[in-house]
Amino acid sequence: MNLRKPLILTVVASALVGSLAISSVSTAVAGAPGVSASEIVLGMQLPETGPASPGYNKVDDAARAYFDYVNSKGGVYGRNIKLVVKDDTYKAGLTISTASKLINQDKIFAFFGSIGTQTHVSVIKDINRRKIPDIFVNSGYSSFYTDPKKYPTTFAGLGTYTVEAKILGKYLLEKYPDKTIGVLYQSDDFGRNALAGLATAGLKFEARKTSASFIAGTQGSLGLASQIGQLKANGVDIVIIAAVSSATAVAYATAAQLGYKPTKWAVISVGADATTFQTILGSKGVPAATSAAMLAGTISASHAPAPGELDDEYIAAFKKINDDFNKGADTRWDNNVLQGMNAAYLATSALMGVGKKLTRKKLISYLEKNGSKLSSAAFAPLGYSKNSHEAFTGFWLGEYDASTLLVPIDGKRVVYTTDSAGGAVTVSNYKRPAISADALPKVA
Amino acid sequence: MTSFLTAFFSGTAQGAIYALVSLGLVLVWRGAGVVNFAQMGQAMFTTYIASQLIQHDYSYWSAFVVALFSGAVLGALVDLGLMRPLTSRKNLKSLNSESMRTAIPVIASLGILGILKSLAGIFWAGEERGFPSPIEPTAIKIGSTNLAITGFDLFVIGVVFLALGLTTIFFTRTGVGLAMRASALNPEVTRLSGIKVGSVRTLGWAISGTVSSLAGLLVTPRTNLSPNTLDLLLIIGFTAAVVGGLTSLAGSVLGGFILGYVISFVSVYSAPENVFIAILIFLLLALFLRPQGILGSKEVRRV
Amino acid sequence: MSKSISLKHKVIGRRSTLLAILLFLFFIALSKQFDPYNQAQLANIATLLIAVLSITLLTGASGQISLGQGAIMAVGGYASALLVTRLGYSMWLSFILAIFVSALFGLFLGLAAARLSGPYLAGTTLVMALAIPSIAVRFEPFFGGDVGINVDYGNPPRWLTSFVGKISIEEWSLYVVLPFTALALFAVLNLSNTRAGRTWRAVRDNEVSAALAGINIGRTKVIVFVCASGLAGLAGALYGFRGLVGPSVYPTDLSLTLLTAAVIGGLRSIGGAIFGTFTVVFLPDLIERITSTFEVPGAIANYLPGLAIGTLLLLTVILNPSGAAGLNERIHHRIKKTISKSGGH
Repeated sequence: MNLRKPLILTVVASALVGSLAISSVSTAVAGAPGVSASEIVLGMQLPETGPASPGYNKVDDAARAYFDYVNSKGGVYGRNIKLVVKDDTYKAGLTISTASKLINQDKIFAFFGSIGTQTHVSVIKDINRRKIPDIFVNSGYSSFYTDPKKYPTTFAGLGTYTVEAKILGKYLLEKYPDKTIGVLYQSDDFGRNALAGLATAGLKFEARKTSASFIAGTQGSLGLASQIGQLKANGVDIVIIAAVSSATAVAYATAAQLGYKPTKWAVISVGADATTFQTILGSKGVPAATSAAMLAGTISASHAPAPGELDDEYIAAFKKINDDFNKGADTRWDNNVLQGMNAAYLATSALMGVGKKLTRKKLISYLEKNGSKLSSAAFAPLGYSKNSHEAFTGFWLGEYDASTLLVPIDGKRVVYTTDSAGGAVTVSNYKRPAISADALPKVA
Repeated sequence: MTSFLTAFFSGTAQGAIYALVSLGLVLVWRGAGVVNFAQMGQAMFTTYIASQLIQHDYSYWSAFVVALFSGAVLGALVDLGLMRPLTSRKNLKSLNSESMRTAIPVIASLGILGILKSLAGIFWAGEERGFPSPIEPTAIKIGSTNLAITGFDLFVIGVVFLALGLTTIFFTRTGVGLAMRASALNPEVTRLSGIKVGSVRTLGWAISGTVSSLAGLLVTPRTNLSPNTLDLLLIIGFTAAVVGGLTSLAGSVLGGFILGYVISFVSVYSAPENVFIAILIFLLLALFLRPQGILGSKEVRRV
Repeated sequence: MSKSISLKHKVIGRRSTLLAILLFLFFIALSKQFDPYNQAQLANIATLLIAVLSITLLTGASGQISLGQGAIMAVGGYASALLVTRLGYSMWLSFILAIFVSALFGLFLGLAAARLSGPYLAGTTLVMALAIPSIAVRFEPFFGGDVGINVDYGNPPRWLTSFVGKISIEEWSLYVVLPFTALALFAVLNLSNTRAGRTWRAVRDNEVSAALAGINIGRTKVIVFVCASGLAGLAGALYGFRGLVGPSVYPTDLSLTLLTAAVIGGLRSIGGAIFGTFTVVFLPDLIERITSTFEVPGAIANYLPGLAIGTLLLLTVILNPSGAAGLNERIHHRIKKTISKSGGH
């Protein structure tokens, strides 16, 4: 550790490295940050790479495809929507850095559609104190949205895990009163929120018997054999899965290996992506027909139509835009693409709704006042108000058919609605408005 | 009783794989005095190669053989292209300290790990995918009840024992194997007795590469394959090697099975969330009670 | 005899004070040229530098390798976050206390570490880093589970803004971190130039001869480990206050990044630690600029930082194991030689 003059030399060298990396600071625009006469800049953070990326790394490409479509039709009041995406690899340390980059260098107007609870929690406070809109976050973690005083600029882009679990739990309890119901969940915010929702619905599980857990992200390295073995040993008839799709695939494959055939599988929508499910099983050597048969009969929930409902007007319109405009690496039409498109559709609606004079403050107050009236592909109403920033407050329940399409149970789509607290589950009477012929939102 | 059997069977099947990983680490440690942190990165890479072949309609077994072979090649390349030049005299002069000589190869192996993971991400998009098993993984039945063990698990255990048996025969019965043991114990004397210490060392790396590649092929059917999935296996395998004794081949295998049982019994009787805490506690306890490992020898560790 | 030693101490003390102040001023001057994002990156460097210094101390001065320095950072992070959120301590006090908590933790671990040479310590620290998320989730009511505990540096205080004018949140974070960085630098400089430092290096270079010279190897290693842990804990506390103390803030990758920084710069040199930290923090930005210029598709571009860091690590180890600082010294040496050859003396 000899250091005399070399230290000075190194410091100079370090400064050189630093200055090389620093891009010319973009010129500040008058008015709201991120809004110019020709452009609105939105920023998104998500895991593009790393263990948490599968499936989710398609959402940004889908959203960008819709924005590109809007831009091709003249944009929002002549302004093109530009989406800047940063990969945080699902590590909060990086989320903090890339958020600062989006704010200070890309000069975004608002955060849009960021994915990941553990990562978003590291920046949500900072984004809110800077009063930057943080719209349509792709996380169902209810604590982000139920107290707008705490996070006034953050709005959900998904229904909360709690709401979905409450609706699913109530259904299962009423439909199968005599069966043993068990749960497999990942021990993180998502799993625990879902567990809380199921408990509110009256489902009680016994640790080491009817409830099995695993550390999120380890299904790919440790497998789920002991968890599935435990549920099997305790004679669980109905298995609820609150985990990501790749874990669902491992769970089904393991159950097949152990000769375990529960009467029903019920999968929280986060983990019920048929594409991921079939891709993983497919590369395990399971033919598509077999994996489809494995999934068939599984109960899941959704707020929007299933991606396979090609006669649905929103699905048809979005799928066409995906075919024409999506420039991502994987453009296969599935739940993740639909979610990205739908969030982009909502964002476009909100930006149009605010009007020509777009400011951050106006966007937030617009969403609080009129957000619940915005339409989208969803069959469930939006919950935005002064007192709550929750998105879709309802879900419909379906079962997968033999072609991996989620179809409403008993052939009739019933949308249930509830809140993230102790409120009752009721049937929603929301009527989804039609999509316009050009698939652009029409906002009064 | 059922939970006990579940834990026991799943522990045995998992432990067999950890034993392979741990064996791979010990082979290199004994031969070269390096803990190869890139080992499971190499295995991940060769498993992707196999997966790629299978997706292009090659048979499972041809992919299996290609993966094992590329594991050997990759292992040998790491030694020839990197580790050997690193430990050659010329380079050591600039770092004339004992601890640095052990530190530098470890750091180099971390560099390889990073490169392999990034390359796998670039080549294969980093998507999580599955990996097939050669044997229909359905549960073994006694009468009408399913056991918590599958035909594939038995296959894994069988293959692992075969591999362990072959290694043992190699080291105790063949001239090259004996030479490897000799050069691990005392390179100078071995060199004087006319054995090419360098080639013997490279062979150790190649065998380690093959063994860990085998571990990759056997573990992924039960889990998934992504650039990061095997990281955890390395850490568990390393813990197994430390517990068993880094200098002992038999110890490493024993350590692997012990770790398999620790993980599966904690998962079944406590909770899977506690697995890593249990591994940490177990490792610390093992180090306090028997720092040289269960079957490790004391003298070699001082070096 | 004793007089000359104390005199030498004074000189060293003065020099390290000077260097610490110099670095402090250098960072401030640099930050004034930067936009807020790069000010935040600079604060990031100042923070991580402390952790890299802890590796320089541990590996460079006593030859022990830790692959889980991030885990010790997490100890410091959780300590300070809990002190602030549960007990209402001031942020500043919590940073200081984080040093002691993590040093204590280091002592506990160091007792094991003293018996662990090379790979044993590396592996143990790695397993520790792996266990952190589990511990956070297992004791969720206390540690906040996987979402962790929100903490931050707060807004720039009024006394400062009234004194220097309006400053960004990022610049404020830099001002919070910098005094600690200077302090850490001062401490490490002094430690390595004192008798203790020489003892450590003797252990690093040859344990057997150090033992023959009457040095207690075990105790020396524990002391180094405790000091390094204190530093890492401080870095962890500062790192957590960027926004969150949680498992996803201190992943195993973080530990490896720190080690990379220390190696690239040169494990034995403090100047190298500075250079290495600058490199690992700014390299991804540099790559992003290049890839966006050449429109490299995201599927490839996303993996390039990892590839570049890995390659850099390998090249350093192969071509120049003593790191950038070694190169620097070599050049310096050559310049000196040329000058003395070409005349003068």
